[in-house]
Amino acid sequence: MKELWRCHVCNDVHLGSKAPGVCPTCGARNAFVLSDLDEALEIIGKQPALDDQAKVMAAWKRFSDQSATVRLTSKADEVELLSKGVVENLKGKGQRYCPCRITTGDPGKDLALICPCNFLKQPAYKETGECWCGLFVKRDEK
Amino acid sequence: MSEKRLIWFHGRECPHCRKLEPVVDQFESETGTKLERLEVWHNEANAQVMRSLADAIAPACGGDLGVPAFYNENTGKAICGGRIDLAMLLSWAKG
Repeated sequence: MKELWRCHVCNDVHLGSKAPGVCPTCGARNAFVLSDLDEALEIIGKQPALDDQAKVMAAWKRFSDQSATVRLTSKADEVELLSKGVVENLKGKGQRYCPCRITTGDPGKDLALICPCNFLKQPAYKETGECWCGLFVKRDEK
Repeated sequence: MSEKRLIWFHGRECPHCRKLEPVVDQFESETGTKLERLEVWHNEANAQVMRSLADAIAPACGGDLGVPAFYNENTGKAICGGRIDLAMLLSWAKG
């Protein structure tokens, strides 16, 4: 079961089955203490929502830039179309679901459909070097 | 008894679906057979139809439901994914 953890040095918040050994923000070792949702929300405060296409595409670009294995497709029109779908799904279905999958109706299961999903484990990625919708591709793919 | 359909499940913002549209048009033109086009992200009833066929469609999509997906009510056969071409559609329709 995943739990909330707080770095007692810099108040970094982490959700996971165990505490990080090193705080990714301040570098403190063995600094995380068990937290809870109220405390975490107080620390996190109100974050800007990723609720328009520009913000979603910026988040994808940051994800792409930090990855050594995958990057955003170079097909800008497809990135644009997919970001539109993700934002529409956020408004209509409550999460930034992949527009090329389909929700099951089970909110727990559907967490796996939030873009970017864990596409590295999917057969489509293993066979084609692309995530299901073609948004993310292996770095050595066109 | 209603006529068996050839169904195309697609999503309005799915790039693969958009690219397949002219292929589907060509299929319909060459065979004279119309596909039932069901959009699944903006029409919950269509999504429910697709979910009801998950046992047939999900394996063709690599384990989870996805679009574009095609389901043949005559044969129960499904094909799925962004690499579908006209030859695959013709073969799927024949059974």
